[in-house]
Amino acid sequence: MAKYLQLCILSIILATVSTANQDTISSSIVNTKVDRKIDVSSHIVKIYTTVTVENKGSSTIKSFLFVIDPSLQSKLSFIGAVSKSGDDTSKLSVESTRVESQKDKVFFRINLASPLAAGKSTTVEVETIYAHVLKAYPAEILQSEKQLVIFNSNLYFYSPYKTLTQTTSVTTTSSSIESYTRTKPVSVSDNVIKYGPFEEREPFVEAELKVHEENNSPFLTITSMERIIEISHWGNIAVEEHIDMRHSGATLKGPFSRFDYQRNNDGVSSIKSFRTQFPAAARDVYYRDEIGNVSTSNMRELEDSVELEIRPRFPLFGGWKTQYYIGYNIPSYEYLFNRGNDYGLKMRFVDHIYDDMVVDELTVRVILPESAKNIVVDPPYPVKRGSNELHYTYLDTIGRPVIVLYKTNLVEQHIQDFTVTYSFQKMLLLQEPLLVVGAFYLLFLLVIIYVRLDFSITKDEAKESRLRVSSLINEVQDAQDKRSALYQSYDDAINKYKSSKDTTTFGNSRKKINNDYTALTKQINTIHAQLKTEGSEASERVAELQKLDGQYHDLINSAISQAEKLISNKLSKQQYLDADSANNTKREDLESKMEALRATL
Amino acid sequence: MKTSSAPFGAGWLLRMSPQKQDTLLKLMILTIAAILAFSTRLFSVLQFESVIHEFDPYFNYRTTLFLAEKGFYNFHNWFDDRAWYPLGRIIGGTIYPGLMVTSAAIYNVLNFINITINVRNVCVFLAPLFASFTTVVTYLFTKELKDAGAGLVAASMLAIVPGYISRSVAGSYDNEGIAIFCMLLTYTLWVKAAKTGSLFWSVLCALAYFYMVSSWGGYVFLINLIPLHVLILMFTGRFSHRIYVAYSSVYCIGTILSMQIAFVGFQPVQSSEHMAALGVFGLCQIHAFVDYLRSKLSVEQFNLLFKSLVLISGSVMFGAAAVATAAGKISPWTGRFYSLLDPSYAKNNIPIIASVSEHQPTAWSSFYFDLQLLVFMFPVGLYYCFSKLTDANIFIIIYGVTSIYFSGVMVRLMLVLAPVMCILSGIGVSSVLNTYMKNLDVSTKKDKKQKKSDNTYPLKNEIATGVIMIMTSFLIMYTFHCTWVTSEAYSSPSIVLTARGGDNGKIIFDDFREAYYWLRQNTHYNAKIMSWWDYGYQITAIANRTVLVDNNTWNNTHISRVGQAMASTEDKAYEIMRELDVDYVLVIFGGLTGYSSDDINKFLWMVRIGGSTDRGSHIKEADYYTPQGEFRVDKDGSPILLNCLMYKMCYYRFGSVYTEGGKPTGYDRVRNTEIGNKDFELEVLEEAYTTEHWLVRIYKVKNLENRGI
Repeated sequence: MAKYLQLCILSIILATVSTANQDTISSSIVNTKVDRKIDVSSHIVKIYTTVTVENKGSSTIKSFLFVIDPSLQSKLSFIGAVSKSGDDTSKLSVESTRVESQKDKVFFRINLASPLAAGKSTTVEVETIYAHVLKAYPAEILQSEKQLVIFNSNLYFYSPYKTLTQTTSVTTTSSSIESYTRTKPVSVSDNVIKYGPFEEREPFVEAELKVHEENNSPFLTITSMERIIEISHWGNIAVEEHIDMRHSGATLKGPFSRFDYQRNNDGVSSIKSFRTQFPAAARDVYYRDEIGNVSTSNMRELEDSVELEIRPRFPLFGGWKTQYYIGYNIPSYEYLFNRGNDYGLKMRFVDHIYDDMVVDELTVRVILPESAKNIVVDPPYPVKRGSNELHYTYLDTIGRPVIVLYKTNLVEQHIQDFTVTYSFQKMLLLQEPLLVVGAFYLLFLLVIIYVRLDFSITKDEAKESRLRVSSLINEVQDAQDKRSALYQSYDDAINKYKSSKDTTTFGNSRKKINNDYTALTKQINTIHAQLKTEGSEASERVAELQKLDGQYHDLINSAISQAEKLISNKLSKQQYLDADSANNTKREDLESKMEALRATL
Repeated sequence: MKTSSAPFGAGWLLRMSPQKQDTLLKLMILTIAAILAFSTRLFSVLQFESVIHEFDPYFNYRTTLFLAEKGFYNFHNWFDDRAWYPLGRIIGGTIYPGLMVTSAAIYNVLNFINITINVRNVCVFLAPLFASFTTVVTYLFTKELKDAGAGLVAASMLAIVPGYISRSVAGSYDNEGIAIFCMLLTYTLWVKAAKTGSLFWSVLCALAYFYMVSSWGGYVFLINLIPLHVLILMFTGRFSHRIYVAYSSVYCIGTILSMQIAFVGFQPVQSSEHMAALGVFGLCQIHAFVDYLRSKLSVEQFNLLFKSLVLISGSVMFGAAAVATAAGKISPWTGRFYSLLDPSYAKNNIPIIASVSEHQPTAWSSFYFDLQLLVFMFPVGLYYCFSKLTDANIFIIIYGVTSIYFSGVMVRLMLVLAPVMCILSGIGVSSVLNTYMKNLDVSTKKDKKQKKSDNTYPLKNEIATGVIMIMTSFLIMYTFHCTWVTSEAYSSPSIVLTARGGDNGKIIFDDFREAYYWLRQNTHYNAKIMSWWDYGYQITAIANRTVLVDNNTWNNTHISRVGQAMASTEDKAYEIMRELDVDYVLVIFGGLTGYSSDDINKFLWMVRIGGSTDRGSHIKEADYYTPQGEFRVDKDGSPILLNCLMYKMCYYRFGSVYTEGGKPTGYDRVRNTEIGNKDFELEVLEEAYTTEHWLVRIYKVKNLENRGI
């Protein structure tokens, strides 16, 4: 694995080198003062180099070269530089480059914020992070033993330029240091070994620096990781991370004793749990592996993040592996921006998994909505882009475009934002709901057609008759409904007549209603005849209905004649009111009877 | 006067024709019952997670995964070298593939239309889905037997009956989950075929039978029940052309189809379990022939012919059967079937069958626990069936009576009993309600006065009200009981254990998966794991490692060899483990948490099975008891027990652990004693992993020591 990694890194470096710049080593630059702080207290090595560069030449310089120590050059994960003048710090751009005369070395060009005039000097702080540098020694330990590691590097600042004065300090995990290189001047205080100052060292000078120390910090390495970001324009971004990890420290030899682990708290170098941080808006967090939910985890919501304490199913001892996946949802408005139909996603390329994390191989897949076009990816550092894929999930038709990005050897400093921009027609959002609507519509249509078609070969006479009867009854009911609406119009007409006393209008409207009424009654009568031929018992009920209706119509007629009498003053008001109320009660009674009859046809 | 009622009022239901109302009501009740059947089985998913349960389902899940990934032909030809090392197992030929094919088909169809559900979730939710289907089929079946009302009651009861839920909760991905559906479907179609005598229904019945055969070994019950039905119809003089057509076609087509299943093969024409069906088929032909002759001959001629024919054909058939059995063409009845007929058979003869808890006879209490109200309503339903005897009713009576017997023999056959209980109780409840609902006086006050004068039936309305209220409260109690049983007893996945903590919180013991995942991640891919057979399926499916024996207990000698290793001393066991290339040994130990079904409690079975073969004849059960005949692990325990491999693996370093306050170290919380042999070291094994609560302990078998110079 390690070899493969190195190859990968080399190939990436070569790839960048071949396309990138070429430089020459300027003889006019001198490192006047170098201070290196090497931190080996965790499982990664962090080297902070403060270099004061002086331009001894005659022309101004815009940049200077930084070279990686040969013992570390295959392990480099991250390099960054800031310039320091007084209290201000500003980030400097660092580019990979190469030098024709020194092909085997890895160079970086650090571009200064402002050109350095002749005779002037500036201070630059370079941060380099290396993974897998510390070697467990012994490589195999018992459960009760402590983990010892060896750090092997260069005592002097490795530089293409002459260094006038330099110091180096190594910070170890604790004060228990087995051995260290005793090149004078050297002093040890607690967990810091200080070397130097050394004067006047030539370019590319090397001397052994070896520190053998106790280091029980978690040697946790993510051997491979896949981060899947799925964008939904309905307001959600789903993130899922598949993580393979292993304990890359000293491997456990011999038995694992649960008793000792529980009682004596040994296995100090083993990893019981670690904390992962998600964005503060993360919801629906899950932590699973291929055999199900991992129930041993705690979630805490902090102010600016959600922290999940992850306990793998079993404690990780040296050489032990585990796999899991973790996922959450975040609202898209925090990460997805748009102008018209152009969208931009801006979120972290890799997120925090544990402190001092090391990711050997990372694959990032961004699943964009269906029919997203003009996709442009802008990573914060060079990444390898794989060929686009298609992803199919619920209600997809042509598949969602998936952007695949690869990157090896990442550390915490790589937690930076990347952006993906694409264009997407807003109207296409409606495609999926319409698909569902269409599917249901089709389903109902099929059912409707199926119910109405007759697939039987033989004719079932009784059933046919039943169906005919039920449709006839439906017609009767409809007609009866219309008829009772007509009664209402009669009432309205009478009321209107009483107030306006306009006999001609009343006569007209009465005639019109009467026409409708007779038409309806006729219709029911024909249906009644048909029902009779079907031999249905409903025909009797229809006859009954017709009889009641006849009575009702008579009552209406009498109400009309009374109203006419009232208008022509043949009837006193009191008399009319009495007669009308008697008429009304009769009609109400009839009406309820008819309604009941109608419902039970 | 004012109202011609609004088109979309509450009255719309009343305005529908009675038939439409009827259809709507039936559809609604049935749909609700089906949804209920699905959702009540989700307790396990809500309380735990969407995970496969127990032991056998893990094997089914693994095979389904294989089928979904590699296709049917690879599945059919699958030789599994990850189990039964070094023998292996021909999976394609030794399983009923119906379950896997069903879920793989669902999986493929859903994924084809881009519903990206994974195989595990298909498997988890398959049993609840089929429970919904079963509900619908129960309705159709009961409708054939009685009427739609009884069908609806039966369907609603079946939706929540615990006896069926126990095997079909979400995650319980086992053959039984779909087999009950297949069985009821076959019965429904059989009754339909017998009623109509139509070839169409008979062929459908044969197809349903084929599906049943492909999914569960319990099809044997079915292929004996249908002939029994036909036989009884013959005896009761109800044999007719309809029955002749139905049975002949079902038997012929069904048998030919069933022989297409590799695992069944030629059994339908060879094994004695299927002979009843063949015999009844022959009888059918004779009966039909006799009927034909009777219609052509006079009575005297016929009687003479009949007697001689019966004599000749009887002796020929008996002779043929005897010859075939002697020649080994008809296989003798298998042990599992014997134990159905004689509950003590297995216990006395085959320890491996008797050791399975679900093959134990059923306790009386579990009938009430699993069926509740149905226990009482079952006879009521039987009464109504007898009171109106038809061909179909005779079938359900036979089914009810036989399945009551079988479920008494074996706990797991409760599953076969539960549907018929629901159907008969449904008929009972529906008939009772039908009778009394009519007597219920719901008319208006005016009419009441007239009805009170009914002197032949005093208090008619009151009695009816009382009966209906009692019935309603019974049904409500049944619902509560079923829900309670489902959530408390049948929804535990058993791969994750829970206990109530001191502050009433739930403590989760996820030790099984912890150990299996450790094996999966941190052992060599080809490592061989030795464990008792119970855990074989889980190890192959979850840990993806090779096991020596698993839950498909097909090779008794091999299991016996493992039992011998567990029961021997360390050096004897080492020989066996070297012989079998064992890399790791896995034991389940509950002494720290109080998990009672651990390997020490199963140990006597290992001793019995280990001692049941020639190579293990030196292992005698009596050696593991105290002179008083007790099985104890404390100081008084038998020294052979205290020094055997199983004891040592379980209690290694346990002697220094305090488990309970006020008790000495090494106090076993399952056996409630202080263990007898505390201070010992392992010579040929080393502890490789022990889970957090010590539930699973894994040991690595050491290599041979380097020879000194």
